[in-house]
Amino acid sequence: MIRTIAIVASLAIAGCGPTWTEAFDGASHGALSGVWGSGPDDVFIVGGTFEQAEIVHFDGTTWTDMEAPDVPLLAWAYGWGPDQVLSVGVDGAAAWYDGSSWEAIDTPTDEDLWGVFGFAPDDAWAVGGDANDIGSEPVILHWDGDAFEEVVIDPAEMPRTPASLFKVWGIGDTLFALGQSGQILQYDGSDWRDSPAGAGADQDFVSLWGTSEDNIVAVGGRGNARIGQWDGAAWETHQPSALGGLNAVSMAAPDAALVGGINGYVGVFDVATGEVELDEVLEGGDVHAIWNDGEGRFYAVGGRFNEPLSGLAWVRKGAL
Amino acid sequence: MNRLIISILGAALLGGCADRPGPIADDIMAPMGEPVPYATAEQEATFVRGQAVAARRFSRADGLGPAFNVTFCTSCHERPTLGGSAGSYRNFFIAARRTEDGAFQPAMSSGAAGGVIRLYEYGDDADAKPYFDPADDIVARRNPIPFFGVGLMAEIPEEEILKRADPDDRDNDGISDRPNYDQGFVGRFGRKSQTVSIEGFIRGPLFNHLGITTDPLTDEEKAALPIDSSGGGTETAGFGFHLIPRAHAQVAAPASPLTDDDGVADPELSNPDLFDLVSMAMLMAAPQVEELTDRSRAGLRHFDAVGCGDCHTPRLKGPRGNLHIYSDLLLHDMGPELADGLVPGEATGSEFRTQPLWGICAVGPYLHDGRAQTIHEAIAWHGGEGERARDAYLALTVQEQAELEEFLLTLGGRDQYSLGLIPPDEPAPLEGEWGGPLPGTDPDRFEAGRRLFDREFGPADGAGGPRLNGDSCRACHFEPVFGGAGPRGVNVMRHGILTDAGEFAVPAVGTILHRTTALIGAAPRAQPEATIFEHRQTPHLFGLGLIEGIDAAAILAAADPDDLDGDGISGKPSWTDGGRLGRFGWKAQVPSIDEFVRDAVTAELGMTLPWVEGMTFGRVQDNDDVSDPELTLDDADLLGDFLRTLAPPPRTGGDDPELEAAGEALFADVGCASCHTPSLPGADGPVPLYSDLLLHEVLPEGALGIEDASAEMREFRTPPLWGVAMTAPYLHSGEADTLEQAILLHAGEATAVITAFTALDADEQAALLAFVGSL
Repeated sequence: MIRTIAIVASLAIAGCGPTWTEAFDGASHGALSGVWGSGPDDVFIVGGTFEQAEIVHFDGTTWTDMEAPDVPLLAWAYGWGPDQVLSVGVDGAAAWYDGSSWEAIDTPTDEDLWGVFGFAPDDAWAVGGDANDIGSEPVILHWDGDAFEEVVIDPAEMPRTPASLFKVWGIGDTLFALGQSGQILQYDGSDWRDSPAGAGADQDFVSLWGTSEDNIVAVGGRGNARIGQWDGAAWETHQPSALGGLNAVSMAAPDAALVGGINGYVGVFDVATGEVELDEVLEGGDVHAIWNDGEGRFYAVGGRFNEPLSGLAWVRKGAL
Repeated sequence: MNRLIISILGAALLGGCADRPGPIADDIMAPMGEPVPYATAEQEATFVRGQAVAARRFSRADGLGPAFNVTFCTSCHERPTLGGSAGSYRNFFIAARRTEDGAFQPAMSSGAAGGVIRLYEYGDDADAKPYFDPADDIVARRNPIPFFGVGLMAEIPEEEILKRADPDDRDNDGISDRPNYDQGFVGRFGRKSQTVSIEGFIRGPLFNHLGITTDPLTDEEKAALPIDSSGGGTETAGFGFHLIPRAHAQVAAPASPLTDDDGVADPELSNPDLFDLVSMAMLMAAPQVEELTDRSRAGLRHFDAVGCGDCHTPRLKGPRGNLHIYSDLLLHDMGPELADGLVPGEATGSEFRTQPLWGICAVGPYLHDGRAQTIHEAIAWHGGEGERARDAYLALTVQEQAELEEFLLTLGGRDQYSLGLIPPDEPAPLEGEWGGPLPGTDPDRFEAGRRLFDREFGPADGAGGPRLNGDSCRACHFEPVFGGAGPRGVNVMRHGILTDAGEFAVPAVGTILHRTTALIGAAPRAQPEATIFEHRQTPHLFGLGLIEGIDAAAILAAADPDDLDGDGISGKPSWTDGGRLGRFGWKAQVPSIDEFVRDAVTAELGMTLPWVEGMTFGRVQDNDDVSDPELTLDDADLLGDFLRTLAPPPRTGGDDPELEAAGEALFADVGCASCHTPSLPGADGPVPLYSDLLLHEVLPEGALGIEDASAEMREFRTPPLWGVAMTAPYLHSGEADTLEQAILLHAGEATAVITAFTALDADEQAALLAFVGSL
């Protein structure tokens, strides 16, 4: 079996290298799209089908299907504690978890929402749009803890004319949203401004993560991978050779990021050299999201978004 | 050691008795367009079904568009047969721009189509011509690429390609040999090896050029393809750090469904049809090589000696054995003259994949943009890493060059080659058949005319200098047979300017907005002030000689330009230069067949003709490098005689004479026959064309269109209805898929008739349509 061979091989090479294990059988959960947790014993994986969301929770021991609100596929989740989790999804879906149950939230859009992030439970952002409707404008919503409100972006700040943004993330006073055609926007405290990603940024950016305001990694690419690096002042975008598109990134330390992409690819991005090294090929489809619990475990989720939708959920243990 | 030296030494060691460079795998060759001999009976059946999908004419009801270039796959894969390339009239453009921070951005063309500029669009809220943003200043021309042997190419292991890679030129031979990648896999398809998956290589163009949406094949379907593309295998492939286990790279097809907003439910091509189409491509045989002769063997020696084989690797090894592909499938910098600025995958703007040479004889024109009409020209255009081999070739004697070309011609397709699309040994249609001659026609002259009608002209002949819509007469007239009508993919785009005074003005280049040009690095663009765009469907040419023979007085007898009889129908004659009555063209703007030929040769092919006293059409001089006239008077006469002797279409009805008779009566009762006059008196008797050959205002009030000769914006000649059932789409714009739609889209003078038609019950309407369809 491919997976076994790969694991054995990596163990043989490193002796005590990382191990990947399947978190649970994701095949019957629709496509799994996002993962976030408040800690090692409180992890949420969201996904589902285009008709109904699914949410799976890990309490440190057991994975349990949660009762999902009556919304379609949830694409991303972010939270501020075990009882403050916000999730968004397709067709403008959104949901809030208060520690006991998930409730659907109204949003002022019917467009797909692909990413959510916030510095506080009353200061969060959701982004999305219809990537197929070229010429349309992306969506940015702000969440004040009570309701979402759509934020207008000056089209002049989006020279790559994206129809959709895919993720939003920040640290300290730095907040970025990124998406189609290599567009990155930075929030200056009052408005979203173009943040030029450089000549290499000619394909979609899909996700981003960082460890400080001067060390942020953005990943993307459709046919071929793109990796952007923010050094606190500017972006530089790499075009790694022979690597397919990336969707996911997570960082536990400043020197390396775990990145995931199409066909189950997972690799380790060396922040200093800009090189990517294969870590594993996961079975079950594309990797859509990676999150780490701060204690050495990386969760990778994804799957197939074509009918019949199916998911993958794997856990990695070991240093990058 | 330098590869060139190795090649030369190798040739020398063979002692002048060069033979094919290694055996070729069994059961992979066949005439172009046929399946591989190893195909199972089930696969052969799939292949036939796939051919039918490839030849299917997509209508708007099928999901064509909203923006598109062509209406069927084999529009661009027709030469010398299904699956091949196409003449320069099927060239298309890919455009892009750079952002301020330097990122490459493909152009939009009524949506995202990978930068492909679409020629046409239908829809109430859209111009007939999709907007082509002037800011998209990277413009590359593409000639369609042949599919022969692509399944065999897909099977080539990545290692077989990568072992020749030398991206840093460590062997110091001046040749970089760079692989391209698609989704992490070694690319092999496309002019820049930018695609790895055959499914992707089909789904993309279906959307970009036809506007036909598809879903990805399911894993089960992928596993059932002739080349298992499900990704469930265990073969290991990949490169460097990115070693990925998989069945092989065919798994790397785009995973997303494609959608559009033309009102037709997506996907517009079903998965079973897509499966057949992909299977057919995978089963396409490699072209059948010829036995070498002394002359071609000498050419092979020259091929080796000048270094062609440094990139045109004679053999790549696949799982079935050696493939005579004459390509390394790697990227090479071809120099600034060939550079197009496109950067798909990891390719630079001047890098191109080494084009496989199997079947090269029959798949011209050559190079990525079709700029080379001959093999010699193609070699002479090589630059950059190909410059040394080019110079060595040009240093050969003329005889040696001819021998080298003779060798290339042995690589398949010679017996299928013709100057057009008519196979070399195909007889002309007989009298009474579609496309056949009038009784008493000289068969040899008719056949000579038919062959000339089919012949493709190139830049060296003066075609496209500077612009063209077709490279042959047949390019636009082939439905259902040569001489017939054209599908929407060969519509002529007309454009015009509406002045502030509300008057029509002709753009500087004329009202025709051509589809392509012989100029390198340029694409025809609309004049910025142009706001009126109008499709012109290509009408069939059957029976033109009989129409020419109709007495002008008989036409004028029905004219009533001021509607003096008060029936609401004007019937205006079209007066052309010299006070002659026009009778040909959508606006009856051309008075004679000879001038119709001259107009088409000049306006559509971009060629010049000799001056002829009394004729007002046809340019005698243009600004290309070919001396004028570019078409002889004899050839123009031959084309004219061919059209003059092309018989009217045979009646197609007869299945239900009673129904058709009832429909004929209704045709008259509701008023169709007021303009679609059943017959006019011809030189040898009645001509049943169902037209009065007069102009009528049939567009809605306020509609904008093109003025031509004496025809106003909303006026068109009553189109003859003979042959109508086999020559869809309908109306001057090609807007209607069906006869019923065509009837209902009449307006202006025809409003009362449409009201009468809609008042008929369903059976009566069906009878009327059956009658019209029988013509």
